[in-house]
Amino acid sequence: MTSGTSAGRTAPPTRRDALAWAAGPAIPAASVLIALVLGAAFVLVSGNDPVAAYAALARGAFGTPYDVTETLIIAIPLTLGGLSVALAFRTGLFNIGAQSQLLVGAIATGFVGVRFADLPGPLLMPLVILTGILAGGAWGALAGWLKATRGVNEVITTIMQNYTIVFVMHWLLQNGPMSAPNAFGTPASARIGDGAVLPVIVPAELIPLTRLHAGILLAALAVVAFWFILFRTTLGYELRAVGLGPRAAAQAGIDPKRGMVLGMFVAGGFAGLAGMVQVSGVFQRVYDGFSAGYGFDAIAVALLGKNSPIGIALAALLFGAFARGGTIMQSNAHISSNLVAVIEALVLFVIAAETALRELARRHGALKRAA
Amino acid sequence: MKRLLASFVLIATVAAACGGGAGTPSAAPAAAASATARPATAAPTATPKPVRIGLVTDVGGLNDKSFNTLANQGRLDAEKDLGVQTSVVESKKQEDYVPNLTTFAQQGYDLVISVGFLMTNATWKVAKQFPNIKFGIIDGAPANDKGDTENLPNVANLFFAEQEAGYLVGVIAATMAKDKVGAATHNTVCSMGGIPIPPVDKFIAGYQDAVKTVSPTTVILNGYSNDFVDQQKGKEVGLNHIGKGCDILFQVAGGSGLGYITAAKEKGVYAIGVDADQADVAPATVITSALKRVNKAVYDTIKAVKDGKFVAGSQTFNATNDGVGYGKLATVVPANAKAAADQALADIKSGKIKPKTEIQVK
Repeated sequence: MTSGTSAGRTAPPTRRDALAWAAGPAIPAASVLIALVLGAAFVLVSGNDPVAAYAALARGAFGTPYDVTETLIIAIPLTLGGLSVALAFRTGLFNIGAQSQLLVGAIATGFVGVRFADLPGPLLMPLVILTGILAGGAWGALAGWLKATRGVNEVITTIMQNYTIVFVMHWLLQNGPMSAPNAFGTPASARIGDGAVLPVIVPAELIPLTRLHAGILLAALAVVAFWFILFRTTLGYELRAVGLGPRAAAQAGIDPKRGMVLGMFVAGGFAGLAGMVQVSGVFQRVYDGFSAGYGFDAIAVALLGKNSPIGIALAALLFGAFARGGTIMQSNAHISSNLVAVIEALVLFVIAAETALRELARRHGALKRAA
Repeated sequence: MKRLLASFVLIATVAAACGGGAGTPSAAPAAAASATARPATAAPTATPKPVRIGLVTDVGGLNDKSFNTLANQGRLDAEKDLGVQTSVVESKKQEDYVPNLTTFAQQGYDLVISVGFLMTNATWKVAKQFPNIKFGIIDGAPANDKGDTENLPNVANLFFAEQEAGYLVGVIAATMAKDKVGAATHNTVCSMGGIPIPPVDKFIAGYQDAVKTVSPTTVILNGYSNDFVDQQKGKEVGLNHIGKGCDILFQVAGGSGLGYITAAKEKGVYAIGVDADQADVAPATVITSALKRVNKAVYDTIKAVKDGKFVAGSQTFNATNDGVGYGKLATVVPANAKAAADQALADIKSGKIKPKTEIQVK
């Protein structure tokens, strides 16, 4: 590698990224379109009408103002989880642990929300937000630290952390130290204090029964924070440099080990915030085994969103619409909501295929140049 | 790093500002609800509209071969026999319960059925907002945000006497263990629950009560998979139990319990199914099943709504009204075990036997 190209790789190119964002949406949009067409074939093969299926899907997700708010409620944790995965990606790490970081954030929120239930909102709310973020961040940083100091692959550790937390939750909530004596006979914590509850932000006169909570503002702020941290802070510069090439970054005086730990900390912080939002905004208590799968869907969201904050928000909205619309499709058009899982998988498949094709083309080009 | 902290603090501050009014978010929607709940049943003069029934499964999903499958069976039977229109929706996450119930209610369904104790709070929330729509909840009663049961005039709480079904299969297991029938050579019987919650533990309590009564010398073990979905966890508990000498394994763990049965099948010992008749899961392995006829509860409640005889509050499905029982017997089950189970069934019906509801061997 010549020194010229190496310098081009270590300097994270902000402007080129901006251009890439502009050109970026074409490929994910095409992937979704192809996936929808392939999904339609599945519906057809299963003996149903694809037009009716997609109409029901869209109506379920956006048909009424209430449906829109339900779609948004699902998009909130997906956005935050997607930011978590993407931030790790940008640091060159594969964070499979967004799910466990989310749960750690939720547990911490539940613990603080119950323990200090009597504090007034202006004190308790920032407290639970910070604990949620810090707990998720610390849990993520553990994987980063193991990689930096012991060279343990973060994919392995984050997967193992996912399992660990599931069992910690069983222990805490099934007749354990956090379980409430009176929680509907289900394993759950006590209710958090009123000051820790994210309020519903849409007036009931406008959209009756809506549950859309202030977590959407936190998610919007997080989208901005993601961009700000990554592209407007020294830390973000370091993280991106480590992500583009740890050895080159070290040459430039950036400690890649520090980058790994901090990258996983910030990534875990986003996922921890997702857990906090689910506890404060949706349930007001911690249930054993709740929010199953958001942290895994977040990986798909980050891929589809091409690791850009706006892209992630849009991808989360799409996956939120799939999830919400899928249930309505099942109840109104009698088509299994598992179709949605098929379409989501197809989206990923198409994106992965696109990446693979591009890589093949690149190698082919390199071979030609060599010859 | 400072900027990073600064942006987190910024998030926290803004959120604190929105957190100020968190005290009373629930009052307003409740007031608005009566306006939105369409009075679907209160229009008898209009052209006869088909009765519409919505069923919401818990996270176990429609193919759990137990609880949710049975509830759905009841729905399909009712659709066929009673000419009602029905819909089902599967909950993928705990987050889905409230919106799924709300969606049916908003569309003016006549009856919305929640399958499972996991939905006690969600049912309370939604049923309170839609006083003109009837709700049924399997295995639970509406529970308010504090976790206290709060019966509502539009909710039927559908409970089961699980201990009676557990007792019946316990009699069969104990008889076979005592007489060392077939592969049951160690005089040891076991059970595995999903999570230690009342509807699970009552099955096991009845089972243990029967074993202690019929065959006091038989060793009893119990465990939990801590899961209702993951078969692998159930299988691990099963292999562990078999290693300790168990040769009759009773599962009360939904999908996770299928793994418990798999363990029995692989090691050539016997298993007992739960909720549905699970003889088909592993024909020679499953000697019988503790039946909990969720389908009957669903069917009967739908029928009651159609006939205008819906009753709110708690009702129990037990051996007397055919709500619980034991399933198909494998050929290895001897005649004296069947006779003992039938005698126990008669004694439960007559009130001579009252199976315990508290677990003795944890």
